[in-house]
Amino acid sequence: MADKIKSGKDVIDAFFAEILNVPNLHEKTVQKLIALYSTGKLTETNLQNALDKIIEEELTLMENEDEN
Amino acid sequence: MKIKSLTLKGIRGVRNTLSLDLNKRSILIFGDNGSGKSTISDSVEWFYSDSIEHISSEEIEKRGKGAIRNIFIDSGDDAYVDIKFSDCSFDAIKSIDNSAKTYNTNETKDFKEYIEISQAERLILRYSQLVEFIIATKKQKLDKLQEIIGFSEVGNIRDLLRKIGGKIKRNIKSEQFDNQKSTKQSTLIENLGKPTYSTKEFIDACNELIKPLNLNQSIKTVADVNNIIKAIEEKDDNKVSSLINFYGRVSETMKLVKENLDQEYINYHNYYELFSSFQNEPEKIVKLSELNLLEEGIKILKKEIFKEDKCPLCEQTISKIDLIRKLTARLDDLSELSAEKEIIDDKASDLRSALQNNHEKIRSLLTEKLLSEAEASAFKELIQDIENNLKTFKDELNKDISNSEPLKALTLIKIESNKIEFLIELSQKKVDELLENQKKNLRLQIYTRLFRSNDAFRDYRKIEKRHEILLKQQNTFESLFSDFILRQEEAINTFLDLFSHDINDFYCIMNPSEKVQNIKLVPLKDRSTDELLGITIEYDFFDTRTTQPIAYLSESHINCLGLSFFLASVKAFNKRNHFFILDDVVSSYDRSHRTRFAKLLIDKFNDDYQIILLTHEQEFFELVSSSIVSKGWLVDEIGWNKDDGTFAKKALIDYKSQIEDKITKRDKSELGNLIRKYLERQLKSVAYNLDCKVSFRFNNLNEKRMAPELLDSIQTTLTKHSKELSEKARIIEFKGIPSFIANTTSHDNTFQESFEDLEVFWEETINFIKVFYCNSCNRFISISNIDKVNKKINCGCPNLTYKWKI
Repeated sequence: MADKIKSGKDVIDAFFAEILNVPNLHEKTVQKLIALYSTGKLTETNLQNALDKIIEEELTLMENEDEN
Repeated sequence: MKIKSLTLKGIRGVRNTLSLDLNKRSILIFGDNGSGKSTISDSVEWFYSDSIEHISSEEIEKRGKGAIRNIFIDSGDDAYVDIKFSDCSFDAIKSIDNSAKTYNTNETKDFKEYIEISQAERLILRYSQLVEFIIATKKQKLDKLQEIIGFSEVGNIRDLLRKIGGKIKRNIKSEQFDNQKSTKQSTLIENLGKPTYSTKEFIDACNELIKPLNLNQSIKTVADVNNIIKAIEEKDDNKVSSLINFYGRVSETMKLVKENLDQEYINYHNYYELFSSFQNEPEKIVKLSELNLLEEGIKILKKEIFKEDKCPLCEQTISKIDLIRKLTARLDDLSELSAEKEIIDDKASDLRSALQNNHEKIRSLLTEKLLSEAEASAFKELIQDIENNLKTFKDELNKDISNSEPLKALTLIKIESNKIEFLIELSQKKVDELLENQKKNLRLQIYTRLFRSNDAFRDYRKIEKRHEILLKQQNTFESLFSDFILRQEEAINTFLDLFSHDINDFYCIMNPSEKVQNIKLVPLKDRSTDELLGITIEYDFFDTRTTQPIAYLSESHINCLGLSFFLASVKAFNKRNHFFILDDVVSSYDRSHRTRFAKLLIDKFNDDYQIILLTHEQEFFELVSSSIVSKGWLVDEIGWNKDDGTFAKKALIDYKSQIEDKITKRDKSELGNLIRKYLERQLKSVAYNLDCKVSFRFNNLNEKRMAPELLDSIQTTLTKHSKELSEKARIIEFKGIPSFIANTTSHDNTFQESFEDLEVFWEETINFIKVFYCNSCNRFISISNIDKVNKKINCGCPNLTYKWKI
């Protein structure tokens, strides 16, 4: 029986391996999510900080583009 | 992985040493209540998980470590668990010193990996955990199952995706982006004469604005706006513009706050209606208190803080399982109320977050340098007043619904709109005054407008961008969540199908030909979101499909379901460890289920698993010990005394091997007593199986019946029911052998047993028992196997049959 069923880890690994196939996602957000999971740092605080950082980076990028 | 030996020293109830030399074999261990049986399961739990759950709740900080060392050992004494495994590279001694610091002799990477894997496997089932799953609520069942099958992390990821998605959605709502953008556009219209949403529109409008200055350069990028501002700037321009900008910002912020508050008042009104209507129903408030009490009560009962079978509140006698079961059923009845309260709490949380955003904007204004100057003191006072009003508004949202204090009506906490309007008006007036002073100076006018437009457009762009990214992030998490729950559901359904089959199989072995069949664990989904909400147990009860095990099944049957669930989990998930411990689960079964319980373990698990079965039930111990020994099990007994704590006694079932060993070695010492003890135990089984009557005695004395009394009783039964058996057993002759008499006459007897006498006594004993015991099926003849048609009694197979008068 154990061979037929997926363990929790199997389900999560498959999800992260195929996550980029889900249509209409914000790529930078997904990349951060994958990075946090693969380094074993996927917690609510770390994810929230990463999302805030994405916004900051995008805003900085926009400002830089405006300045040049 | 199986256990070769388990040695404990200075751990829990063991003061000196307790050794179990298992050599990968299963073992049945008998010990009275308080003898320290659970020390064995506690030690194994601590070895693998570094804590002992049922004592961790009393010692939260140390995770139960403070209670691991035996309390009678000295501070410098050893306290350890030494486990030797079938694969000796994993052998380890885990010790704990007086400061609760732990050490392990095996520090290899493989061992650490093994321990980590083992933590997810099902190694121990205690009596208190037996029915946890069966009587849990639907949601708890899902959570528990996910924990057991290693899906806790799946649940955590699912919750994380949902939580973050929800948080982003609430942020978008509370930041009221449309209001923010509209405020910035107002400033742009005021200074550029038209709205400017795109960079091109902004640049075109700026070029239009500077046209009267006839500059030699034009604006091509947003960065050029800064260059033009610098190019046309003269001394003190910046100071004046900063002042205009400051008052403009006050006006802008207050307009935004006012618009936001208008929406928040509507939300507060809705919240107020729900809150007050809930509070106006005293029955709901009582039930809410009951809900809190039940949740806390179940938590406490499960932590085993109260050991006795009675309600800790009213002290009424009730089995703990029954109590948890009843409380859980009541908790299920209150689930609608719980959901209603959750909706009200969520509304308060959203509103709090929106008000917090406004509060932060006002606080940010208060940090402006210009506000500390004397001429701005009136502004400062007004802004501070609004801030205080906002704080009072926010505090109202912290009121506890179960408290009798009502929520203040909107009219009482609403910030007077004229306060905000006055501030807007005042700051706008300041802006107008400052602009008026510039009227004669076209350059300065253009400079100021460009200066303010530049800030407003940059802010607008940031707000727009932030809004855009947050929407993308929200969409991303919602899509990921939908994808994830589909995967989770698919995996759980596959698991449940296979898992249900095993549970049903095990349950039916313990309850053959009964009214319950086709047990299945069934997932429950939320109709609107399709999300998995819980798991329920479905089964046929007298051919009708039902989902209420608690309502229809007896305690023994519910316990059978609990055990079936555990054993199915062992089969499914114990990939590395092929052993498990059942700690006193037998006591939860009635007589008929106990025999089938042993049969289930032997038929389904004996070949592949090493079982450590702990019991305090002497009847069960005696009932099954002989049959399981023939299947390769060991049998042992533990006791407790003040000097050693828990210690291993001589195993009763090992008497036979000890006797045979002594006979081989012609060792006479203790041989007579060993044979007599062996005989007594076997006679009890014969008497039990033939339902022989003896005179009444109280519990403890009942167990201490001697062989002559049992033989007399068996003789009486045989005389009444079976002449054939009576003639074959020759009880009167058996009672006459000298070594037997030596025991019955005790110390008054002057007969000195020789080795040869004892050898004959043993041979006679074996022959006597053979009359009643079948070596083919390893069972005694029993009144439960009477053939009423042919008037015969047998052991359950055709190999041992006698005539039997009914």
